[in-house]
Amino acid sequence: MGEFKVHRVRFFDYMPSAIRSMAFNSHTERLAVARADGAVEIFNFADNYFQEKVIAGRDGRSIEALCWVGCRLFSAGLDGEITEYDLENLRPRYSIEAYGGPIWTISGNSEGTLLAAGCEDGTVKMFEVLEDRIQFQRNLSRQKGRIISLSWHPSGAQIAAGMMDMIRIFDSETGHATHRLLVDRGVGASKSREVVVWSVACLNDHTIISGDSAGKVQIWDGLTGTLIRTHLVTKWDVLVLAVSQDESSVIAGTSEGTIVQFQFISSTVGQQDKLWVRTRTFKNHSHDVRALVHTDSAVISGGMDTQLVVRPLLDKVEKNTQESALRKIAFPHRNLVSCAKKAGLLLFQFPDHLELWRLGESDRNETFPVKTRTPGESLPVKRKPEKLIQLKTKGEDHICCSALSPCGSWLSYATVAAVRLYRLQISSNNISIQKVSKLPRELKSVHQLCFSSDSCRLFASSSFSSVVVVALDQTDCKYLHTLKHKSGSRQPIHILSPSEDGQWLATANTDCEIHVFNLRKMKLHCSVPAYSSCPTAVSIHPTTGNLVSVHADQQIFEFSLKQKEYSEWSRQLQRQGLHPLWLQRDTPVTSIAFNPNNPAHIMLHDVFMFCIIDQSLPLPEAKTKFYNQMILRSLPEPQRLRESHAFKTCKNFQHLLSVNLLEDLSLVVVERPLVDIVAQLPAPVRQKKFAT
Amino acid sequence: MMSLPWDPTERDNMANKQRGEGTSVEKKAENKKGADDFNLALDSSDDEAPEEVTFEDSKARAVESLKLALDTARREKELLKEKRRKRQEFFQEQKVCLTFFSCIINISFLYKLGANFYAITGSYTVSTVTDRGQSDYQRQAAEDFIQSRLYGPGSCRSSNNEMLSLQNKTRADKSAAVQFVKKDWGAFKNTINEPQTML
Repeated sequence: MGEFKVHRVRFFDYMPSAIRSMAFNSHTERLAVARADGAVEIFNFADNYFQEKVIAGRDGRSIEALCWVGCRLFSAGLDGEITEYDLENLRPRYSIEAYGGPIWTISGNSEGTLLAAGCEDGTVKMFEVLEDRIQFQRNLSRQKGRIISLSWHPSGAQIAAGMMDMIRIFDSETGHATHRLLVDRGVGASKSREVVVWSVACLNDHTIISGDSAGKVQIWDGLTGTLIRTHLVTKWDVLVLAVSQDESSVIAGTSEGTIVQFQFISSTVGQQDKLWVRTRTFKNHSHDVRALVHTDSAVISGGMDTQLVVRPLLDKVEKNTQESALRKIAFPHRNLVSCAKKAGLLLFQFPDHLELWRLGESDRNETFPVKTRTPGESLPVKRKPEKLIQLKTKGEDHICCSALSPCGSWLSYATVAAVRLYRLQISSNNISIQKVSKLPRELKSVHQLCFSSDSCRLFASSSFSSVVVVALDQTDCKYLHTLKHKSGSRQPIHILSPSEDGQWLATANTDCEIHVFNLRKMKLHCSVPAYSSCPTAVSIHPTTGNLVSVHADQQIFEFSLKQKEYSEWSRQLQRQGLHPLWLQRDTPVTSIAFNPNNPAHIMLHDVFMFCIIDQSLPLPEAKTKFYNQMILRSLPEPQRLRESHAFKTCKNFQHLLSVNLLEDLSLVVVERPLVDIVAQLPAPVRQKKFAT
Repeated sequence: MMSLPWDPTERDNMANKQRGEGTSVEKKAENKKGADDFNLALDSSDDEAPEEVTFEDSKARAVESLKLALDTARREKELLKEKRRKRQEFFQEQKVCLTFFSCIINISFLYKLGANFYAITGSYTVSTVTDRGQSDYQRQAAEDFIQSRLYGPGSCRSSNNEMLSLQNKTRADKSAAVQFVKKDWGAFKNTINEPQTML
């Protein structure tokens, strides 16, 4: 059915950035995640934890805290600025200087009217949240020592600040510090070092909970300023705290990678006297936990090991269901690899540079055709893969998106500030790259880039959910048209997929809309009926002209562009339903490809598997064995056909960042094993294990 | 030359004899005088033993005086530090003001319109000086603070190689220690952002 020569690529040194801070918006169910390189990612928790949006970072921007005020997202960092983000255009809206030195923390009050920033110079600065900006209001009384953490009392009347060796409670009305809670230093060698109160939380009943660098979680009475209880949870630091909405549970993240839960319960059932008791410990991470969110049903954590972990609490969700499964998001939900199918080139996108590689070759003059080779056999590499170009960005902004034309002669990338286009000339012994200097001014605020299959057009998704089309000539580029849809959505377009014949352009935005444009007439052709889950991959079949889309909830649809309705195969798939094992996969499909030799095949992949859907074979039923390739191989030929079903999956390659089919019908599989990423993380704590 | 607290005996006078008559006479006179003096002094407290100063007392007094000296030195140092800090802050504030409001304006005529409004006529060039040096320095210092707290001395850190190898050895299907493909992986990294080249 499918024999392919596979280029296994492991030279993409993709390194994710550590998670520094998180903030959850319970109204929209969006989680904002700030990374150490200044990037901000938005995950949609209502749509299978799909990474909807990524705002690229910037050199020198280091985010220490994130905060939602209503539907607005703010961040603050060591560069001393508070930034508000434009989530429709995926860029910072503006930044203002706080003039307090590096900012360690920001927190909004429950009314959403004030934003407090804790600064290096010992001031807590209050900013008024206005409709289109924030404005400095006043400083609270200045302290001797940096303000590391802040927490508002739910009423907004007090604010607790974690500092060095102490916690200060301020009256937010007068600005005066009313209480000073002294925090004990560690024992032994750490007694000479100041203890850092990394996190504080203020509860409604004026209880204050603090986590510090001596490894303690302390419970204080905020009215009298006295210590109620101390829990020593770790030898290292307690870096972050999070409180549940109903204030019955507090979680603490440590440098060991553990998360300790405390619950406000009575020690004996039926009694009224409740106190904070240490209950569960989760070991979700191998490195320090620096960000935590406590939702009603789950514990969400992230830290130096760069993975986002969602741990549902088993007393809040039904056991042994999809909902109760542990989720680890370790890889991006979008493609960072572009492939020039005709030229055998790969473009790797890093935050601050691009790498262009030429694929290697095995024996060109093969005496044995592919069919007689045994599956899994390694072919000797005659010419090694070669890095042709390393292109560093100009300026401090990181790369949002990049694209390589199928013929390999055009390369483009975009940052929040600019779009750059380069002409490439690659021959066997010479490489030249030339920047196209005068670009159309319509090419700005670009979120996604894509070349047409004949390399004559460049498509760029821009603001207000529009697509800019430019024509490419030998050496320059001319603006042609801006494609707009009529749905009124302003959400950014994250998928662009032109058809092979150059007639159609399929686009998808984060409002879950798929619009198809007719490129010959330069206008909207049709919109796929609305579906509640965001598309993660969209592609148009070269021969049938059907649009295939895969969504965040793992559903697959096939829509006929000619008839403007779902295809018969798609309806049958919906009637029968997808196999449970397919629906339980927790990583999205990020690209779809088709085989010119076999029109019935749809090739998909996610991080853990590569799959070919054969539309000519029967769909698997719920009780059929889904992963059946090994079994089929052991069966004799006639029986094999009877037992086959449409979904043929291969788990040989992991972790997959990209799968592409070249013009010569060989597959390019870009893998990034997780252990290679872990190898380059910062040092974990030294755990002493018995008998090692 | 110490005079003897008792009447000089023959033996004591031997030294004088060895020195010669002249001197010894003088010396004797001296001695006698000194001795007399001493005797006078001793007369009053002849029968009493010399004042007993206990070791603890003298030690306490010595410690006290030392502490006093250290205290004064420390106070002076603190005062100096405070003065220096205040001066530094004052300069920094000035600098911030200067960098933010730094405009080079060549004006030919400036007239007042209202309470706080001025109009500038004539030709002028305005350029603002953006000095990021101060904030970069502060940002670096803050990053160094986190770095030293999490990865500095006393942080008890291991390496990724060791962690992964331990995982290999303690899981159900035990396997060998991890050997990284590239030599610089898994090196003892104690920085958050940049890899270290050591080990």
